[in-house]
Amino acid sequence: MMSSVLTWAMLLWVLALTGTLCIFAALLLLYALIQSHNTKVPKWRPRNRPIHLLVVLGSGGHTAEMFSMLRRMELDPTKYTYRTYVVSSGDNFSAKKAVDFETTYLNQKEDPAVSERPPPTTGSYSIVIVPRARRVHQSYLTAPFSTLSSFWSCLLVLRGLHPDQGPLRSESMHSPHPDIILTNGPATAVCIILAARLLRLWLALSTIFLLGSRSATMSNDFRLRTIFVESWARVTTLSLSGKLLLPFADRFLVQWPDLAGKRAWKGMRQTEYAGTLVD
Amino acid sequence: MAMQDQPLKFCFVTVGATASFNLLIQSVLEQTFLRELRAHGYTNLLVQYGKDGNTLFDEFLRQFPPGSEGQHGLLIDGFDFNPDGLDNEMRLAKARPSEGRVGGLIISHAGSGSIMDALRLGVPLAVVPNPTLKDNHQQELADILQEQGYLIASHYQDVAIAVDRAERLRVQMAKWPPVSKAQEIPPPSLDQVMSDELGFLD
Repeated sequence: MMSSVLTWAMLLWVLALTGTLCIFAALLLLYALIQSHNTKVPKWRPRNRPIHLLVVLGSGGHTAEMFSMLRRMELDPTKYTYRTYVVSSGDNFSAKKAVDFETTYLNQKEDPAVSERPPPTTGSYSIVIVPRARRVHQSYLTAPFSTLSSFWSCLLVLRGLHPDQGPLRSESMHSPHPDIILTNGPATAVCIILAARLLRLWLALSTIFLLGSRSATMSNDFRLRTIFVESWARVTTLSLSGKLLLPFADRFLVQWPDLAGKRAWKGMRQTEYAGTLVD
Repeated sequence: MAMQDQPLKFCFVTVGATASFNLLIQSVLEQTFLRELRAHGYTNLLVQYGKDGNTLFDEFLRQFPPGSEGQHGLLIDGFDFNPDGLDNEMRLAKARPSEGRVGGLIISHAGSGSIMDALRLGVPLAVVPNPTLKDNHQQELADILQEQGYLIASHYQDVAIAVDRAERLRVQMAKWPPVSKAQEIPPPSLDQVMSDELGFLD
């Protein structure tokens, strides 16, 4: 009789303890989530600080639209000093377009190794290949698995650890993370943006724990900002990747007026009508 | 053949690289379509038929070999795809007096990449949405761009009619790329949005 009371009391204690721990962890996670979701960027980045831009090249039409936009905005390579292009495996068209854009538009010197199998890592840009999240016509049943492996690859890219990236110019760049991420779909873009948010959550969490590390808190606000541009082809409805990313992208641009002002739920950031961005 | 006396006039048909679109290939190899091209002074038909369009194209050539009645005096040629892009082929439809070419027509699937390429050239464009594609939003884009006067949206069965409509489009085509109309609050440019997110001092 006596012993059973003791075990009950102990069980209660353990329960109470794990309960508090869980609540604490949940609160911490919530705090970190809010921290990492803070959409305001402090205006104190010096003008000439090098910027690492990461561009996700979807495939076919998405890639064509992306380069069309970059040309029309007259992307300045002296401002966006380092560019990473993320390409899905097997998508030679996008990789080729990226090299074309760099060599002919941005007047970068073509590396002789460009045409060889391992993707090039020349001075100011690199092309990174990640596994495909979903092929055209692939069943939605098997898609989650390929998406998972793609997601892992995206995490590596964002941390500068992907094998295709080579030695990441650590001297000129202040962090392995890209400063800004530009995407227009489809699946790989979803992976990259979700991975970026997860990484930001992780960075926010680690700043809470390592209160002392000043360098981390300083540059956290500047890193891994995400912009999603809805495809020019979407006139009245958002694409699947658009719908998925609506609550996660920092900025969500649409190119047709009917799509302006949409949001995931009340209080969230709205989509912004930016007019035709392609040329 | 009287081909030498008359200026070259190209019709270029493209189905893109991603999905096949044999319904369109079939339509542009039909006698009514070829007759219509001939009636509007076309001399050449070039077809990019995609991954598995070659059976249809070869079948057509077997039935109507070059120079036969069924080709209506046109020079008909085809290829599966060009990995370097279709810019050179699209340019054939652009007027170039020095090479004896007048402005022709591009007939394209409704993929955004092909549409942009053709619009940039300023050549009359007929866009044919592929009804077999899942989640067919291509129709929307084709419709709104037709409404704004950039191109002709056509059903694949109506491409023969599109030939005549293209002549009217040639006379009054809207200028590409569109500039946003003067508004009280102009929409932000992509460069602005990116700078915003980077948090520059300014």
